Amino acid sequence: MSREDIGAAPRDRAGAGVVTAPPDPVLLWAVFALVTLGLVMVYSASAVTAQALEHNGFYFLERQAGAAAVGVGALLAVLRLGYRRLLPFAYPLLLAALLALVLVLVPGVGSSVGGARRWIRIPGFSFQPAELAKLAFVVYLAHSLAKKREKVRIFSVGFLPHCFVGGLAILLLMLEPDFGSSVALALLLFALLFAAGARISWLVGLLLAGLPIGWLAIARSQYRMKRILAFLDPWAHRHGIGYQTVESLLSIGSGGPWGLGLGAGREKLFFLPEAHTDFIFSIIGEELGLAGAVLVIGLYAIVVWRGLRAAFRARDAFGAYLALGLTCLIGVGACVNLGVAMGVLPTKGLTLPLVSFGGTSLVVSLVEAGLLLSVSRSAGGFLLPQSRGEAARARLAGGLA
Amino acid sequence: MVGTESPVRRIRIRIFVLGLLLFGSLGGLLARAVRLQLGEEKKLGRVAREQYQATVSLPGRRGDIRDRNGVALASSVQVDSIFADPRAILDLDEAVEGLAGALHLPARALRRRLAEKGRFVWVKRQVTAAEARAVEGLGLSGIGAVKESRRFYPERELAAQLLGFTGVDGEGLEGLERFYDQVLAGRSVLLPCVRDARGRLIAEETATADDLEGAALDLTIDRALEYLAQQAIDRQVAESHAASGIAIVLEPATGALLALAVAPPFNPNSVRPSDRDALRDRAVTDAFEPGSTFKSFLAAALLQEKVATPATPLFAENGAWRIGRRTLHDHEPFGWLTLARVLQVSSNIGAAKFGLALGRIRLHDYLQAFGFGARTGIALPGEVRGTVASLRSDISVATASFGQGVTATPLQIVTAFGALANGGTLMRPYVVERIVEPDGRSVTTEPRPIRSVVSRAVARTVTKMLEAVVEKGGTAPAAAVPGYLVAGKTGTAQKADPLTGGYSADKRFASFVGYLPAQAPRFVIGVFVDEPKGKIYGGEVAAPVFREIAEGALRQMGVPPTEPIPAPAAPVAAATPATARPGGPRPALKLAQAATRPLPPTPPEVRP
Repeated sequence: MSREDIGAAPRDRAGAGVVTAPPDPVLLWAVFALVTLGLVMVYSASAVTAQALEHNGFYFLERQAGAAAVGVGALLAVLRLGYRRLLPFAYPLLLAALLALVLVLVPGVGSSVGGARRWIRIPGFSFQPAELAKLAFVVYLAHSLAKKREKVRIFSVGFLPHCFVGGLAILLLMLEPDFGSSVALALLLFALLFAAGARISWLVGLLLAGLPIGWLAIARSQYRMKRILAFLDPWAHRHGIGYQTVESLLSIGSGGPWGLGLGAGREKLFFLPEAHTDFIFSIIGEELGLAGAVLVIGLYAIVVWRGLRAAFRARDAFGAYLALGLTCLIGVGACVNLGVAMGVLPTKGLTLPLVSFGGTSLVVSLVEAGLLLSVSRSAGGFLLPQSRGEAARARLAGGLA
Repeated sequence: MVGTESPVRRIRIRIFVLGLLLFGSLGGLLARAVRLQLGEEKKLGRVAREQYQATVSLPGRRGDIRDRNGVALASSVQVDSIFADPRAILDLDEAVEGLAGALHLPARALRRRLAEKGRFVWVKRQVTAAEARAVEGLGLSGIGAVKESRRFYPERELAAQLLGFTGVDGEGLEGLERFYDQVLAGRSVLLPCVRDARGRLIAEETATADDLEGAALDLTIDRALEYLAQQAIDRQVAESHAASGIAIVLEPATGALLALAVAPPFNPNSVRPSDRDALRDRAVTDAFEPGSTFKSFLAAALLQEKVATPATPLFAENGAWRIGRRTLHDHEPFGWLTLARVLQVSSNIGAAKFGLALGRIRLHDYLQAFGFGARTGIALPGEVRGTVASLRSDISVATASFGQGVTATPLQIVTAFGALANGGTLMRPYVVERIVEPDGRSVTTEPRPIRSVVSRAVARTVTKMLEAVVEKGGTAPAAAVPGYLVAGKTGTAQKADPLTGGYSADKRFASFVGYLPAQAPRFVIGVFVDEPKGKIYGGEVAAPVFREIAEGALRQMGVPPTEPIPAPAAPVAAATPATARPGGPRPALKLAQAATRPLPPTPPEVRP
């Protein structure tokens, strides 16, 4: 296939990747604010655990800072190269991600933590294929949907293949098992298919077909069943399956409006498991109070707002879908994580994007942010009203001026 | 245009919808955060604090108990106690096996305890340093150690009944430890702590030593003298297979106790159930029928009331005197005796007749004035009064005159002798010289006279008569100390038999109470042996112990001899005090001094 098929605006043919506008500064600062807050809170939440496990209170902070440095480097590289360079890699990336998801299931390659194979350890380095898979899936979907354009409304062309690829990835994730990432991927698939114009009836059908599968996945797994029970009434299972949820609620609740003070939280004293990873928000709520919670939610709201703005203003369909997908990835990830922490969703192993401890998660999140920023550099795109001609855009610009 | 416009418009609308969903979700989460952190803050915060807030009670350091020279008799040391947080134990089997080995505990009981619910159980308290290290080496989760204060008695059995001992929580259970529990006990400080989920505590405040330390007691007890008394009474109790023994050394001028030893001893560092009968301080908790030592107080009363003089004679009925339906006996028959001789040879019949002459009211009043029937007020737990109440009939007056039918504690007897020794004033006995607060402030016990019982002259005259007791012809020559004048009195009381209601045929309470140097007494020493076997007389069982303690006390306090040491002509006698010493002219001379009048005609069968 050639560039023309991808639905880019005609001017792109002149100079691909040459973009002059600066990246969205609001988005950039929101991302950096989240990463910075994450570093501070990872240290606060992990110092005691780190001292106990590694005899080095800075252990997790050091690793997170290293990942942040790599991630920022990647973000800058992505910005410099431009998101469109990703186009040729959409399918290889997807293949690599699916391969990694298969590899992680192979004993000896994938390493098992707490009964789930989620890590591939290469000496000196380990990563979570699921994080890569989410990014690869977004790139693939954006590319595929942009390429197919109006054919999206044809069931066998625009709907079925994406569902098939998505289903495959979800199946592999479920085998790890990684229910959280599966759900995130499913939501992503829904969001992008919906945005690209899939018929509502298909989506409803997909949902109806997915429900029994989801139920089966829950009912067949004892720990997921327990998590649902714990979610429905955590206080009744306070010393058992509801422990984590209750501790998280206690942590957030005891923060009050202004928090106990940075570093003064108690839940990290081994009460709250995964305080520096999946439950980092609980520590933020405890130590910084409602002010901290508002800050975090506000920053994600900014990211979503500026992300969607970038999607609207993307100059091509790929950029638009990519920005939308990435925004959903970060936004949904954040919502699910916060929902779990505040007891409105059942517990699942999802990190808080850009904030939680976790090298793969942070690097991939920063790459996603970089891509989002890269999309934000285009001004005026195919989604803007009357954007089909230079004249129209010029007139709009003039009118605004 | 519409055909191409509409898909883009549809996409825009749908992205808009997705955006609304995301913002809606974030808004919902914000509402949830507000609800948790503003609406439920109080409730959630309280529950959260319940699980991580803890208070640790730092047990105060119990104050030391020291002798009059500052030597510690009871001290406190910091030792580890091992506890468990059962919820934090990861592997019960491993924990049980490890702890049972390290702490020498039965595995089954340990397992039961570690399986308990709750967040705190003691595993073993006050472990040795080696045990604590062994537990630390196991590295078990949910097992921790706290420092506890443990009472330690460096002198072991020494003055154990006087000092008492403490329970595992440091509470005083007996003796001074019990009486002064509130004073000695350090103030426990409740320290607010943070508890982590593994049960470890992190203190948020500290306490200083002054906050924690209890006051110290400086006793009037002299450690060396106490040791001497303890040794002597222990040995005598063992040799005579007695039920128990008590030795008391008191300073007559002040009432200060220099030594108080009770046998058989026990080790307060590890009190065993079999020690049960040895624990109480019998010097104050047990009242005995005192026996003939009481004749001293009868004599003092007779002189003070001018009913008799030391030379007043009476007929001792040759050993048997019927009074009412009962017949009194002497240990050997006596004929005519003066009051001085009644004391010297310890005639019961003589005492009874003098007692009847004094009359029941005056006898009772004098016994009360000497402190009998009332607590001495020494600061020791469980002190009893004794009974001198029922002097209704002639027979009870007669028997009370020689110390039967009335009861008294050994401390009461020694204190009353103190009044004879110091010129007639009954002093309140005391054992705590000073209470020293950790900040250095102190409260000193002042010697307290209770009342003047007899005049100085009467006391002096009684002393003279009592000197004759330890001389040749007296009942206790074994109590004589070369170089010093000793005044004292034996007692060999029959014990009431609880089975028959009468007196036991063989159970005796043998005693000797005396003081020296008789001219200016420094020590009153009472030796009491309960139920000795074989030798049963106070002059045989208690007097030698008196002499042993007296010699030690004189040496210890550096009291120079007041009398010429008997000439080397009689070195054997000096070396064997238990045998009657050869008299020489000196005792006879003194007897003559005591009995200011010539002796009445006396049958020669006075006890040799």
